[in-house]
Amino acid sequence: MSKRITSPQELLRLKDTFKSETELRGEPKAIQVIVHMGTCGIAAGAREILDQLMNLLIEQQIDTVTLRQTGCIGLCDQEPMFTIKDASGQETLYGKLNESKLRRIVREHILDGKPVTEFVVNV
Amino acid sequence: MRDLSLHILDLAENSVRAGASLLVVSIEEDPVQDRLTIVVEDNGSGLAVTPESATDPFYTTKKGKRVGLGLALFKGTVEQAGGRLVIDRSEHGGVAVKAEMQLRHIDRNPLGDLAATLSSVVCTNPGLDICCRLSVGEVKRVIQVSQVARQLPENARHSLAVARRVSEEINAALTELRATA
Repeated sequence: MSKRITSPQELLRLKDTFKSETELRGEPKAIQVIVHMGTCGIAAGAREILDQLMNLLIEQQIDTVTLRQTGCIGLCDQEPMFTIKDASGQETLYGKLNESKLRRIVREHILDGKPVTEFVVNV
Repeated sequence: MRDLSLHILDLAENSVRAGASLLVVSIEEDPVQDRLTIVVEDNGSGLAVTPESATDPFYTTKKGKRVGLGLALFKGTVEQAGGRLVIDRSEHGGVAVKAEMQLRHIDRNPLGDLAATLSSVVCTNPGLDICCRLSVGEVKRVIQVSQVARQLPENARHSLAVARRVSEEINAALTELRATA
């Protein structure tokens, strides 16, 4: 059985422990990739894109990227999509993603810092 | 949606949007009663509308949108497998979505890649704790993301490593449960 919490101080210490653990898991990196995970995105293959992206980041030992999710932004015909937000705050929206586009975006945008303009969705 | 794990991912996205810090996913296969039960619940802000409105495809609370398909699609998927969808208040304070369907129904969608669903939620939501309860017959397994994270070395406790470990543990638990039951 779990140990009983006996004082408010103990509860606060426990809170700090869990907070530091989740902060460690989610510490912000130079580049954020925000995957659009609304119903339309999921139906169009957003989970597979995210899964492939996770594998690429692990395989290529890229540790400068934080992954996040968001919902539908009303461009359902462009799904699956993600937004890349770089260190300067510049946002680039990529649409109709597939594995070959993803590989190019990782190589050219994430590693070399050059957006792949032909895959960009202009809003 | 091709499989049930994609609906679970959609429900998880709803929980994240409702500000949840805890997500509980329970999947119970009962071969004797021929029943599959999926429950997704959270401690988020709860449902602001009636369950009937929530499953109406032409009702949404999102500004600038005219349709809200997530729960309506899930309801259709569940009903086509001889089941029913119930939306209620969770004991954790948020919403509980409970889907019961016939396990061996010819039109039941496959469970799909549950490990990929939960690992994608883990790696994109570091502040969210997830408890996954799996059971086949009488055999049960529980996987809690915060516990999985604590088992990793402190310098390797980043989101991708935690997500990968969660994925491995869920796949191992499902294989073991189906072999044992």
